[in-house]
Amino acid sequence: MAFGIGLAIALFLGTLLLLGAGHDPLRIYSRMFEASLGDPDAWAITLNRAVPLGLAGLAVAIAGSMGLWNIGAEGQIMAGAIAAAWVARIGGDWPGFALITAMLIAAIGGGGLLAVGPAVARAKLGVNEIITTLMLNEVAIRLVQWLVHGPWKDPDSFNFPLAPMLPDQARLPTLFSRAHFGLLIAAAVIVMASVAVRYTAWGYELRIAGSSGATARYSGISLPKKVLTVLVLSGAVAGLAGGVELAGTADRLTETISNGFGFAGIIVAALALMRPSGVAAVALLFGAVQIGGQSIQTLGVSSSVSTILQAFVLFGAIGAGVFSRYRLSLDGGSHSIPEKAKS
Amino acid sequence: MTQTSTPGEEAQLSVELAGIWKTFPGVVANAGVDLAVRRGSIHALLGENGAGKSTLMNILAGVYRPDSGELRIQGLQHQFRNPADALSAGVGMVHQEFRLIPSFSVAENVVLGAAPSVIKTRQIERDVAAISHKFGLKVEPSQPLWQLSMGERQKVEILKVLWRDAQVLILDEPTTVLTPSEVDELGDILRRMANDGRSIVFISHKLHEVSGICDEATVLRQGKTVAGSLDMATTDSDELAHHMVGTSPAIATRPEAATPGRPLLELRNLSADGDRGVCAFSDVNFKINSGEIVGVAGVAGNGQRELADVIAGLRSPSKGTLMMDGTDITAASPRRRFQSGLAYIPEDRLGVGLAPRLSITDNAILRVYRQQRRGLFILAEKAMAYCSEIVSRFGVRSGDLNGPIATLSGGNLQRLLVGRELDGEPSVVVASQPTRGLDVQGVKAIQDLLLDQRNRGAAVLMISEDLDELLTLTDRLLVMEGGIIRAEFDPGTASRHEVGMAMLSHAQVTAQS
Amino acid sequence: MRRKIAALLAVCIGLGFVLTSCGSDDGADTKAAFVYVGPVGDAGWTYAHDEGRQYAESETGVETAYVEAVPEGTADFANYVRDFIDQGYNVIIGTSFGYMDDMLALADEYPDVVFDHVSGYKMNDSNFGNTFGRMYEPRYLSGMVAGSATSSGLIGYVAAFPIPEVIRGINAFTLGVQAINPSAQVEVIWTSTWFDPVVEGDSAQALLDKGADVIAMHQDSTAAGEKAEAAGARWVSYNSDMSAFAPNAFLTAPVWNWGPRYVEIIEDAKAGNYTPSAYWGSMADGIVDLAPIASDVDQSVVDQVMDAKASIIAGDLHPFTGPITDQAGNEVLGAGEVMDDGAMLGMMFFVEGVIGSTG
Repeated sequence: MAFGIGLAIALFLGTLLLLGAGHDPLRIYSRMFEASLGDPDAWAITLNRAVPLGLAGLAVAIAGSMGLWNIGAEGQIMAGAIAAAWVARIGGDWPGFALITAMLIAAIGGGGLLAVGPAVARAKLGVNEIITTLMLNEVAIRLVQWLVHGPWKDPDSFNFPLAPMLPDQARLPTLFSRAHFGLLIAAAVIVMASVAVRYTAWGYELRIAGSSGATARYSGISLPKKVLTVLVLSGAVAGLAGGVELAGTADRLTETISNGFGFAGIIVAALALMRPSGVAAVALLFGAVQIGGQSIQTLGVSSSVSTILQAFVLFGAIGAGVFSRYRLSLDGGSHSIPEKAKS
Repeated sequence: MTQTSTPGEEAQLSVELAGIWKTFPGVVANAGVDLAVRRGSIHALLGENGAGKSTLMNILAGVYRPDSGELRIQGLQHQFRNPADALSAGVGMVHQEFRLIPSFSVAENVVLGAAPSVIKTRQIERDVAAISHKFGLKVEPSQPLWQLSMGERQKVEILKVLWRDAQVLILDEPTTVLTPSEVDELGDILRRMANDGRSIVFISHKLHEVSGICDEATVLRQGKTVAGSLDMATTDSDELAHHMVGTSPAIATRPEAATPGRPLLELRNLSADGDRGVCAFSDVNFKINSGEIVGVAGVAGNGQRELADVIAGLRSPSKGTLMMDGTDITAASPRRRFQSGLAYIPEDRLGVGLAPRLSITDNAILRVYRQQRRGLFILAEKAMAYCSEIVSRFGVRSGDLNGPIATLSGGNLQRLLVGRELDGEPSVVVASQPTRGLDVQGVKAIQDLLLDQRNRGAAVLMISEDLDELLTLTDRLLVMEGGIIRAEFDPGTASRHEVGMAMLSHAQVTAQS
Repeated sequence: MRRKIAALLAVCIGLGFVLTSCGSDDGADTKAAFVYVGPVGDAGWTYAHDEGRQYAESETGVETAYVEAVPEGTADFANYVRDFIDQGYNVIIGTSFGYMDDMLALADEYPDVVFDHVSGYKMNDSNFGNTFGRMYEPRYLSGMVAGSATSSGLIGYVAAFPIPEVIRGINAFTLGVQAINPSAQVEVIWTSTWFDPVVEGDSAQALLDKGADVIAMHQDSTAAGEKAEAAGARWVSYNSDMSAFAPNAFLTAPVWNWGPRYVEIIEDAKAGNYTPSAYWGSMADGIVDLAPIASDVDQSVVDQVMDAKASIIAGDLHPFTGPITDQAGNEVLGAGEVMDDGAMLGMMFFVEGVIGSTG
């Protein structure tokens, strides 16, 4: 209900925007839908986009359910991709299954490794993880650049800055159309994380610590240990996103491998209210909106108008879900009050 | 209270509320409340937690709109749509939680939200100084707010309302943040405002405060007015208490003492620093025996909170030893202490004792979740069963046990927390402000539970700011001031006055938070 | 402003074409789509390509479309191309190096679509070719102008990445500088970005602070020029005539002129006889050129530059003619020898007179 209203408002605002920019809104909207959810091929592209978004969102949400902010998913994605690409370099002649498994494990390790510094600093010294994770993004991008321009440059590329293509057996298998196996990996990881947070003792401690650090200490939960494991785990999930993206959609390590997924993941997690179980749906919607929104550029819509339109739909639809928890008084009052009121 | 007022009488009344109804989903907060406040008087609004006092006052201040009922200010009928409407009609409210900005000066905070587009700092500071001088509100207008104590901050809140020239001031439980001397000072300030022709509505559930300060009292119970505009000069506290709780409350009689046994908790030369690295208490020595309640009295901020934290293991001592039943536990972890029989009821219930965003069940199993595991998982049925047992055994009134803990009222929160802590029959119970903010029945229930523990043979340490409670319940009473145990009293014979003097014996204290 | 005039011009020409061809629907079956790496408003690389697209549309009457700001190395590129092909576009032009392998794969997948890739080197033998220009020719000429303009003898060069294309440009520029001012030196700062106004501006400022009084660049924004303008120094821009952004500093610029080549590709595709090639056009072909030289440059210098330009177009002068020595003083090319295309495409050394390293 609220979802529908939010979407309607978003589409209305979008219509004004498109009319203002001189486009036919109906044509644009139908193209958005066709390109993202119109047929199996479109679904495949959307799902491929939702995979890194979902994993990045999960990474942020895992940290977020303990009240920590991992702003470094972008860099951790790159670190994961670097580690996976490294395995692909040394294991080019391994059988496909072993190679891909090793790549993904390396990706998990790479992302986790990049999070170790901020995790230790936060756990032992209380250094704000927002700053440290953010700074390491820069380190990761420089590392990728250095590799692509330097040691990992393809010798056959006439000195152009290009890492070699992955060997064929290092690519994730295809499920249907162009949708790759990463979909199942992401789904499994999201389900596992949701179950772990909701039903295990580990997740219980995480939720206690996220609700109140003092309560966690009171009940004997070691906060530093928790911070350490959760931030590293968050980095590891982001790293997995990098590995999956490398083996699933990108053909090689590039400077743009993370493609902003790490930052989009923050939005995904926030819209999922930091609940791992909410990440999948948000990521799917996010992916559809991105793919649909990009597609309309081919109809002559400029990239800035397309980006604004994507933002409208995203925040209209999902924001409505968030705000529907509050009752809005429309009977002349100028304020809204939460449903739970103290007497 | 349906009154037909003559025009003459009407002019005397600054506030008239008649037949106010207000419902929230699932709760009727006000069911036809009446209230009449005389101009130039201090009017107590009494009632237990949940009686509907705050709701009624939020209606008067324009925060909520009533479902039905009439509201007249100075004889004129009003329908407030928001707090600004109420303010322009001369009604201002000082809320329990302050709405101030620490980095702003006092004067800037006073004009916040109502400042002219060009702020003439000097002019505003002069105006604020004039108002504070007139009513005896001693604050320096140019001082930054973060330097102020809670009591001083409250004065800033009052100044905010006065600066907007409110004729009716609502104070929601204003004494909870004040030291005893500050309470007296507040009384003086309110009297000056009343003499200036303003009306004050004073919300409280502490009878003894009200009798010293207020002229009249209205008592609410379960959303209804049970007694309107009682003259305080001719009404004694028993009668007020009777109106508040409906039945005659258990007049404080000292329960039978149990026979003390061996020492279960012993503090030897214990010292610790506070949050800012300054010594919070030093060289504290005392023992609590089995079957004994020892009380610690003192004005807030004299080291009691830190003392409780150190015993519970949430704060490291800088020096000294802590023994439990003959074992040195100075370095033991909080979990280890709980497992060896130390229960801790912290002062900050929702911030330390409970996890506010989690469900009732999740909170109930905080101490025992490790025993309810199979493999990595917590068994939901087992957790639920444990929770319902606590809920029924300790009389927690709750809805869905998987609903958020925040849906419980203050008294039920505390019952759940206390029940959880006492469930394992601990040998030592540390209770910090266990009855603060609870209604009369809640207070009684918690006190009975602590007495039961003592009678069972536990050693109980009770830290409280409610002197009457300590004098009634404890077997021995320590007074803490400036981080030092200043005196020990036999509560059976000590007078309230004597103990009070010990609490304030040394350098002037102010409550800092 | 320039864009408006260009657009107006394009409309006029387009109108003229429609009127003269009188409803001819030769182009009905051919539609060309362009994928750009930057925004069309960058005033640099992508802007120049979009000028070319508009020119080609008006010259050929073929419907064109574009998407901008498409990152390399992500799934976005292929998604866009498939979208275009779905909508009936059958000429795809990608204007960034990183699209190369995606285009190769897509060319295999869609054999009926013509793919042409700007700045890459891969191709197939049916429907995928590449296009680039001999930018070193106007780079050399712009170096001559810069060499005449420096009095400190130090010229700063803000450059993106140490790849052959950029190194070749720096070397050609330096040889041009030395043709006029044998003792002048060119100092290079690598920015590791094609488009980042802040980094580009900071790098230019660092060079100005070191005493450079002319700034050249291989970047896509105008930030370096704005720093030079503020410092009272001179500026050699790139991609397009950027004189409007720093009117006092602007000297000249080696510029791209993609339009004619795009017309050629589209006409070939329309006629059904597109054959993949590694097109490396020269000033003689018109794909690269030198922007007008600032009016305060000495006429004798302008004459010298114009003579050199005429010689290059005529094939009498090649910027990389020996003797050429590298930074260490080793002779890489003997006197009178002309460097072959292979050596130029793989160039990874700096000539003598350049300060900086290719690492």
